[in-house]
Amino acid sequence: MSKIEFTLDGKTVVAEPGQTILQVARANGIDIPSLCYNDKISKTTSCFVCVVRDAKTGKFLPSCAACPAPGQVVEASSDAVKEMRRTAFELLLSEHTGDCEAPCTMACPAHASVEEYVRAGKNGDFMESLKIIKKRIPLPMSIGRVCPRFCEKDCRKNIFGQAVSINDFKRLAADMCYSEYLEETEPEKPYKVAIVGAGPAGLAAAYYLRMAGVKSVVFDQMGAAGGMLRYGIPEYRLPKHAVLDKELAHYTRLGIKFEFGKKLGDNLSLAELEAEYDAVVLALGCWKAGSMRCEGDDLAIQGIDYLRDISEADYKWTNPGKVIVVGGGNTAMDCLRTSVRLGSPDVVCFYRRTEAEMPAEKLEIAEAREEGVKFEFLVAPVRVSVGADGRKVLTCQRMALGEPDASGRRRPVPVPGSEFDTVADTIIAAIGQGAKMPSGIPVNKYGYPEVDEDNMQLGGKVFAAGDCVSGAATVVEAVAGGRRAALGVLGLLTGIKYKPERQVNVSRGHWASMAEKDVVFVSDKVSNSPRAKLPMIGLDERKTTFKEVAGTMRVETIRHEGERCIECSCTDKADCRLRSQAAKCGASPCAIKGGKLEVVYDTRHPVIIQDRGKCIKCGTCVKVCREVINKSLLSAKRRGFSTCVGTAFDKGLPLSCAECLACVTECPTGALDLKNK
Amino acid sequence: MSEIKMIRVGAASCGVAAGALPVLAMLKEKAGDIPVLEVGCLGHCYAEPLIEVVKKDGGSVMYGKVRADETSINNILTLAEAGRFEIPAGRKSKELVKVLRLAGRIVPTCWDDYIANGGYSALKKALAMTPQAVIDEVKKSGLRGRGGGGFPTGNKWGFLAAKTAPEKILICNADEGDPGAFMDRSLMESVPHQMLEGMLIAAYATGATKAFIYCRAEYPMAIKHLRIAIGQIYEHNYNDLNGRKIEIEIKEGAGAFVCGEETAMIHSLEGERGVPRFRPPFPTDSGWKGYPSMINNVETFGNVPLILSEGGDEYAKIGTAGGRGTKLFALAGDLRNPGLVEVPMGITLGEIVFDIGGADPDGVKAVQCGGPSGGCIPVELFNTPVDYDSLRSLGAIMGSGGMIVISKKRCMVETARYFLDFTHRESCGKCTFCRVGTTRMFETLERIVAGRGEESDLDLLESLGNKIRMGSLCGLGQTAPNPVLATLRYFRHEYLAHVRDHQCGALQCGALVDVKVDHDKCIKCKLCVKTCPVGAISADDIVVDNNKCTRCNSCIEVCPKKAISRVKKGEGVRK
Repeated sequence: MSKIEFTLDGKTVVAEPGQTILQVARANGIDIPSLCYNDKISKTTSCFVCVVRDAKTGKFLPSCAACPAPGQVVEASSDAVKEMRRTAFELLLSEHTGDCEAPCTMACPAHASVEEYVRAGKNGDFMESLKIIKKRIPLPMSIGRVCPRFCEKDCRKNIFGQAVSINDFKRLAADMCYSEYLEETEPEKPYKVAIVGAGPAGLAAAYYLRMAGVKSVVFDQMGAAGGMLRYGIPEYRLPKHAVLDKELAHYTRLGIKFEFGKKLGDNLSLAELEAEYDAVVLALGCWKAGSMRCEGDDLAIQGIDYLRDISEADYKWTNPGKVIVVGGGNTAMDCLRTSVRLGSPDVVCFYRRTEAEMPAEKLEIAEAREEGVKFEFLVAPVRVSVGADGRKVLTCQRMALGEPDASGRRRPVPVPGSEFDTVADTIIAAIGQGAKMPSGIPVNKYGYPEVDEDNMQLGGKVFAAGDCVSGAATVVEAVAGGRRAALGVLGLLTGIKYKPERQVNVSRGHWASMAEKDVVFVSDKVSNSPRAKLPMIGLDERKTTFKEVAGTMRVETIRHEGERCIECSCTDKADCRLRSQAAKCGASPCAIKGGKLEVVYDTRHPVIIQDRGKCIKCGTCVKVCREVINKSLLSAKRRGFSTCVGTAFDKGLPLSCAECLACVTECPTGALDLKNK
Repeated sequence: MSEIKMIRVGAASCGVAAGALPVLAMLKEKAGDIPVLEVGCLGHCYAEPLIEVVKKDGGSVMYGKVRADETSINNILTLAEAGRFEIPAGRKSKELVKVLRLAGRIVPTCWDDYIANGGYSALKKALAMTPQAVIDEVKKSGLRGRGGGGFPTGNKWGFLAAKTAPEKILICNADEGDPGAFMDRSLMESVPHQMLEGMLIAAYATGATKAFIYCRAEYPMAIKHLRIAIGQIYEHNYNDLNGRKIEIEIKEGAGAFVCGEETAMIHSLEGERGVPRFRPPFPTDSGWKGYPSMINNVETFGNVPLILSEGGDEYAKIGTAGGRGTKLFALAGDLRNPGLVEVPMGITLGEIVFDIGGADPDGVKAVQCGGPSGGCIPVELFNTPVDYDSLRSLGAIMGSGGMIVISKKRCMVETARYFLDFTHRESCGKCTFCRVGTTRMFETLERIVAGRGEESDLDLLESLGNKIRMGSLCGLGQTAPNPVLATLRYFRHEYLAHVRDHQCGALQCGALVDVKVDHDKCIKCKLCVKTCPVGAISADDIVVDNNKCTRCNSCIEVCPKKAISRVKKGEGVRK
């Protein structure tokens, strides 16, 4: 038989007799995705993600089975072919059940591998745990204390009561191993980067640049590094000397330089930085306090100023007398609880909506209340004045909740004739923060700079990250932005623009919309015990000192807490071909919606897990078992959407399969996999 | 003495289902020495049980809807006027009975009956010719595959004949899977030898060494008749094709629709799961156990003896360029005379539906051709001649011959949903597009008929439907979206009414209608109140609570004054 000449993507190519279009394409460097194709077995032709198009007939052909005909003109990369492939992937994803990544990992703004560091903690390997954490979280001691725990809010364990106490794994791992852990960095590169702002975003940018071998100088207007970690978050939540200084010392050890007392637009010029450095990252934070916008509002102290001044004074401050804090966010809580500790006999929070609408963390509200803080809801300031005795008078108006506003919260509307006065010694306004960008940097209508979301590039060699881009947010969000800016800078320096890797993530759904029966376990050793209790100092100590309120959990507690983790993510997430190839083809798991098969998680075999929900019905396992191994333990069952692979009489795979595992190896997804992650 | 020569009782499955067996028993008891014969099907389903009384003078009289009671039986035995059945004039004039010539006229399992009516003369004629001459005759006839594909039969035979292999396999596709199609069953039950004769001729012409009949297990009578007939062939040594003996084996299929697909059928014959595979290789190159194999449908084989008897040229005189000979259709749906008909190719849809089927000319909206794999054709296009090519150009297919008449009272979205419900379940599950795609289409249609559809759903249906057609290995997936695509093409306005206005013009979709009592007609008999299974009708003022009502239609059916009806959603709300 003679060779076959045909056209593939406009190029004349030659096929050996019997060669498929897929084989010829791969030999010619044309990438065609495929899931069901496997050269160990006879042709399967089921998934159709490998389709190509015959340009003359317009017909789509599965390239894994179709052999070229002489003179055939085949498109392997045209738009029509790509769309067809994407739809094939989207159809497969639409019937796919499971969680590629665990919900905790997906919820983490920094996308830390939560399930993995929890598992390392469960196994008692806290060094490993810390290593995993630091891949995404460069400030684990601090974040292990102050994070609002996005991960725990989405934890599946919530269905059964309470989330795994995830953040405490981070805190323990960091506290235990921080000083001995020194990460390996890439060889030094000949670049220098200036970072303005030594808060979480700036530190994260510096850290991840350093990991990649790029040293930077971090400038800050204050006298020490940490930004809001030092000057915003009070001592009782994050001890400055014992924790923050220790954490930041590591940065110096890594060779990151700091220059303090440098303020952009004051004694630091962006133009000069741009001239001197290869790239500049602006991580300026949100230091502009929002005004109460009422008569006499200058008589009130700004919450962030209050916290900063007290921190700068090392928490040695006079008794503020009776305190009213206006606002309902976390800064308000910090001001309230700080005031309690300074000896104020009467600390009241005024908030214009109700407790349900308060943006502060529920835990913070509860702890403030425990410490004696009082709350006045549905009140809004009208005027601040000075009374005859020199004390301040806050005039307020009662509010009622009206229609929901743009934020979805019900808008407070004034109740006419409801004004009343409250006398206080200190009135603190804690009603939002904004960014203070130096002139010359273009900002949007909210005062924030517009960056390229992919790489945080502001323009040219200038990047920006953290609160000054997002508005006041959390530390973990700031470090996520800082890391992205670092990758963006690296992209600029290496000439390859950074674009976050497209990932496909299939999810079983949010726990709140799931039933207990829909939660499946690979391990049969998941503990049902209640969530570990956070160790706390006594209430008296809390009210009178700035000692850290919450303690670090003990090793045994954490290891036991780790047993509670369901380990939701897919066993095969690292090498699932459906996931990686669907991502490559631009397929989205939610493009096509529809019902899925009922979850049947077969964990009867000691080492193999069979998950029909992840099966793409390619039949590779059936053929491998039969044609390669010469057993016929698996076969396709049922028809239509319910088609599945199973064993005879559903008896399950025999124990002897543990010695072979050919089906597990060849399964393109996690439908047949090892239980061990 | 009676002037009756014999009595023929239509006792094919359709007749039996309508109650022919008690009639037969009673006739046998009462008829004395008049022979009472169990014959096959005459195709008049609407008149079953149907009995033909053959008179000694050669004439005959038919009785329809016969019941096993004294009066009916006496009417027959006395040749009374009462209960007589006449073939409707429209049908008589338009029908052309050739393949079904002996159906209902002979006893299916009687060798002598078949032989006496010219049976196996075509085989004898063929055996006197060279195999190539037989193939040429079939080519001349223009016969195309009657199973739906329409591939020229003579060419297919030629492919197999050209193969040199130790075994060559002939397969008869008797897996008739389309809901509502019963042409093949009827032919196998009524004249099993005709198809078998066709198979023997094919085996001779192609050099096949082994023959299979793949028949669905739900056809026990067909299988029984075939088994008897095959036994008779062996007994009379008619399977000796000029010195080469061929065995015919019946394989009972388990009722998977996809096994009508040739490569799936071959897998099933091999004992494998019935799933199709990529072609090439085509079965004529590598089929059953790797041997060259050829599959023809029951009706195709049924045509072969005619071609040999009258000659290919004569056969080709009937029909159009898009199809020669006659075609069997199973007529069903909203028409007066459902049943099995045989018509010449080229007859118009209108002639079949109105003249033969007796459908109400003002009441018909469309006809679904080709079963769940076909498409609907609107009444405006009923002057289209029926052949393979013209039906395809309209977005339908000839298919195996199912024809379902759809009245104006039916919703086309619901009709499409109904067909997709079948096909998405019957997908073998192998190809992604067919398995998941048809399910997604079905779910979308379910949403639309439930009033939860959006306009973007129509684009989804269209784009997914086209992709499924292009991205499936076999005919099932390649045609499954047809009912949706054809209704979107001809009845898009009905879809739009569902998704834009949340209205079902035909008032068929339960979620989009209310049920209302017309108090001008209501006589307050309260039958509806008593009948309603969910207590949705108030006893004091006879008003339907449409939130409770399940749209089961019980009240509408029971109302003696026809005062209750379905109305547009919102019109049934208590004022």
